Amino acid sequence: MYHELTVWSRGIIMDKEARDVSSCIAAAARALGYHADNVSDYVDDPDRTNCLVRRYARFGDSPIVDRFVYENPHPDWVVLVEETIIKAVNFLRGAPDRGGVVVVNSVRDPHYLLKFLPDSMQAKIGKFVVVDAVGLAEQRGKSPWMFVRNLSELALDRMSTEGAEERLAIGMGIAAPLIGALTAATGVLPLEAVADQVADRDAMFRGAAQHTVIDMTAEAGAATTGGAAPAPVPAPANGNEQMPAAHAAPAG
Amino acid sequence: MSVRGTRIPPHLQLPIAGVTPPPTEKEGQRLFPTGNFRFYRPVYRDKTPPCNNACPTGEQIQKYLDYVKHDRYLDGYLTIMQDNPMPSVTGRVCYHPCETACNRAEHDEPIGIRSVERFLGDYGLALADDPVKPTLPELNGTTVAIVGSGPAGLACAYHLRRRGYGSVIFEALDKPGGMLRAGIPAWHLPEAVLDAEIAKLLAFGGIEIRCGVRAGSDISWDELRAYPATFLALGQDVGRRLPVAGIESRGVTGALEFLREVGLGRPVKVGRQVLVIGGGNTASDAARSAIRLGRGEATIVSLESEDELLIVAEDLAQARDEGVAFSPTTSLVRVLASDGQVTGAVLCDARLAKAADGSVRPELAEGTEREVACDTILIAIGQIQQLEWLPDHLSDRGVITADQHGRVEGNVFVGGDVMRGPSMVVDALGDGKRAARDIDRVLTATELGPEPAVEVMPYAGLNAAYFRHAPRIEAPLTPPADRRRSQAVEVTLAYSREEAAAEADRCMSCGVCNGCDNCYIVCPDVSVMRDTRENGHYTIRTTYCKGCLVCVQECPTGCLEKVPEMDFDDPADVTRMETAFAPYDGAHAEQSAFTRQLIEETIAEYDAARTAPAGNGKTATTAIPNGTPG
Repeated sequence: MYHELTVWSRGIIMDKEARDVSSCIAAAARALGYHADNVSDYVDDPDRTNCLVRRYARFGDSPIVDRFVYENPHPDWVVLVEETIIKAVNFLRGAPDRGGVVVVNSVRDPHYLLKFLPDSMQAKIGKFVVVDAVGLAEQRGKSPWMFVRNLSELALDRMSTEGAEERLAIGMGIAAPLIGALTAATGVLPLEAVADQVADRDAMFRGAAQHTVIDMTAEAGAATTGGAAPAPVPAPANGNEQMPAAHAAPAG
Repeated sequence: MSVRGTRIPPHLQLPIAGVTPPPTEKEGQRLFPTGNFRFYRPVYRDKTPPCNNACPTGEQIQKYLDYVKHDRYLDGYLTIMQDNPMPSVTGRVCYHPCETACNRAEHDEPIGIRSVERFLGDYGLALADDPVKPTLPELNGTTVAIVGSGPAGLACAYHLRRRGYGSVIFEALDKPGGMLRAGIPAWHLPEAVLDAEIAKLLAFGGIEIRCGVRAGSDISWDELRAYPATFLALGQDVGRRLPVAGIESRGVTGALEFLREVGLGRPVKVGRQVLVIGGGNTASDAARSAIRLGRGEATIVSLESEDELLIVAEDLAQARDEGVAFSPTTSLVRVLASDGQVTGAVLCDARLAKAADGSVRPELAEGTEREVACDTILIAIGQIQQLEWLPDHLSDRGVITADQHGRVEGNVFVGGDVMRGPSMVVDALGDGKRAARDIDRVLTATELGPEPAVEVMPYAGLNAAYFRHAPRIEAPLTPPADRRRSQAVEVTLAYSREEAAAEADRCMSCGVCNGCDNCYIVCPDVSVMRDTRENGHYTIRTTYCKGCLVCVQECPTGCLEKVPEMDFDDPADVTRMETAFAPYDGAHAEQSAFTRQLIEETIAEYDAARTAPAGNGKTATTAIPNGTPG
C-alpha cells in the first residue's frame, strides 16, 4: 500500500490551506504506524503570491526509499485548493489510469468543471470529488483572495510558508473540509484517526459528509451527493500493485 | 586548474540561456506561456455613456467628441448624421439632456456638448459636397406620408431616406420647418441655418415637402391612411386660451401665434409695455422677442415662484441680462381695455397648489388685486392641437394616443409634440428616428420590439484620478445691449476650432475604450497586445495574463472589467501547462532522471580524463597530485 498526495494551491494567499491538507494526512498516516513523508514545495518559488504551488505527502506500509525526490512522480490523490487550477495545469501528470482521486474546492457543478479536462486527463481520474470547502469552513476574515483568513494571520503565516514552524493551528479554515472530503472519498485512512490531527474537527466532518462524487470508472459517471463515507476496508480500485513506487528507478 | 563546470550542458543551452527572447517579444511569450493562471480575466466591454443614453436621438456623443479631439471633423460630422439630421439646429436650440446627464458634472463641470455639436454641424454645412449623400442607398420606390415638417417629420423623412424610402411631407404653413421656424425665434436659430439644413435634406432626393397643405382640411384622414405608411408629426401649434374678462381685446395674442408671425416674417405690432402670461420657455422666448421688436419692456407674469419657473436655466439668465422683468406667483385677473384696445391688466398674488394626485391648480389670494399699465399681452400657458378631423378614439385632449411603439393603428405612427405634449426639439428628432425604424419594420413585416436594454456607465465606475480638473469652455455670448437691438442678432456664438477641440478633450469617454494605451503601458506581464485588436484597440493575451487586474484598476474609462475565469466555459479556450514551472514542456518530471544521467556522464568523463592520460597508452592508476590534469 502506497499513496502519493499532491495538493495544488496558490502561493502565499492559500499556501496554509495546502500545507495543512498534506500535513494532516501525513501526520495521521504516521500516527497509524505507516511510513509517511510531508514535503514542502521546492521548485515553484512558493513565496510568489498567487503563483501555482504544490505540497506533497506520501505514505505506505514499507519505508520510503527515495526521500530526496522533492516531487511526487505518481500522485494518485490530488487536491485543488482553488477551482481555477482546473484550467491551469496538468495536475494528473504521472497518475495511474483510472486511479486518481481528485478533490476540488468549488461551488460549481462537477460536470461543468470536468468539461475543461481533456480526455487524457479524464482517463486518469477514478473519482472526481467537488466540495464547497469555503461554504463549509468557519469564516475567518472577509477577503475573497485569501478565502477565509485575515491579513494579520496571513502575515504571521508567511513565515511558515518560508520554512519556519507553524504559527497557527494546523487543519483550520477551508483545509478542514477538504481533508474531510479527501479522507471520505479515498476511504484509506479512518476518518477518526485523521480528525485527531485536524484543528477544526467539525468542519472536517462537514466536508466528509457534504461533497459530490463522480465515479469515473462507472460508464454513466453518475454523481452521488453527500453520502456517508464508504467503509474503509475495501480499498479503491487504484491498482496499488501495478503502480510503480516512487523509489523505483524511473525509466530513461 | 579544473575546467569542470564551465561547460554549459545541453539542457541549459538555447533557448534557456544567452539569447532567449524575453516575454516582451512574441516568440518569448510562446516559449514561456503561463496558461490559465488567473482567478479573473480582464475583458473589454464597452458600456453606454450617460450622454448617449440621455439623448433622445441616441447620438454617439463620446465617439464624435473623440473625433473632434483628434481633429477628425468629417468623421465627427458623419457620426452625428447617423442619428441626427440637423446638428446645426440642435447645436443651437437643444436643451441638451446630454450635458445634464454628463458624468463630468460630478467631476467639475459638464462638457459643452451642444457647442461641439454646433461646431460639427456648421462644419458639415460649409462643406462643398455633402459627404452623407454618397452613402445613401437607392430609393426603393415606397413613399411614406409625413404630416408636419417640424423636427419630428424631417427626422423621420431623413431616416427613412437612409433606409431607402421616399417620403412626402405635408406642411400646413407656407414654409417648412414647423416649430423650428414658427416657434423658435431667429436670435436663437437663424433662418439661414434652418433653411440650409432643410435644403441639405431635400438635396438627398426622395423627400418632397408640400407646403400649405393642412391635414384635416386639405388632406383627409382616409387619404393619409392610403399611403403604405404614415407618420403624424403635426406638433401643437394652438395656444391655450385664458378665460378672463377682456381677453378678446386688441393687443392680446397667444405667444405662439406671435412667435409664428414673427418667424414667418410677417409684420407684427408690439407695444412698449408687454405682459407675458406663463412660466415656461415659450413665455421666455416671447418676452425676449417682444423686447427686441418693441424696444420696450416685457414682464413675465407667472403662477410659478422664481424657483419653480420652467424656463431652462441658461435662457432664464440670458432673459434677465436682456432686461426681462419677472412677476412670479402672480395671476392675471382681467384685462383692462379702452375702445377695445388693451390699456392695462389687473393682477393678483397667486400660487400653484399641488394636489395629492400631482395635478396643479392656481390659488388666488383675495384682496391683492392691483392694476398695471400695458399695451400688449402675450398668453403662453400651454398649447394643444386641433384634431377634430381624426376619428374620436385616436385623440385625447389635444394629443394623439398611441401604443408604446408610437403606433396609432396599422401602419400609422405618431411622434413629437402631438404625441407627448410640449417637449424638446431633440425629443421630436428622436421620435422621427424611431418612427422611421418602426415604419421600416412594419413594411418589411418585422416584429416591433422594445428598445434593447443598455448599461449606463456611472461616474463611480471611472478612474477619476486620471482626469485633470479643467473648467468648461462656455460658448461666447453677444453682449446684452447688442442682442436687444435686433431679432437677427444671434445670442449664443460658436466655438472656435481650438475651443471645440479643447472642450472635446475634456470628455472622459465613460465606459468606452478610447485607445488611451493605459492598459498597454501598465500591464506588468506584457499581456495587452496592440497588434491584434479585439475591441478595435487591444487584445488580452490570455495565455500569458496572470490576472493581476492592474489594467482593470488603471482603466480610466471603466471599459475593462474583471470576469471570473471559470465563467469562460469554452474548453478550447484553455491553455493548460504541463507542469507548474518548467523551462520547457516535460522538463519537470524528467528532471531527476535527466540530471542524474548528466551527472553520471560528467563524472564518467572526468574519471576517464583522470585515468586515461592521452598519448602514452599506459593506464594510470595513481591519482595526480593537486588535481592538475596530466
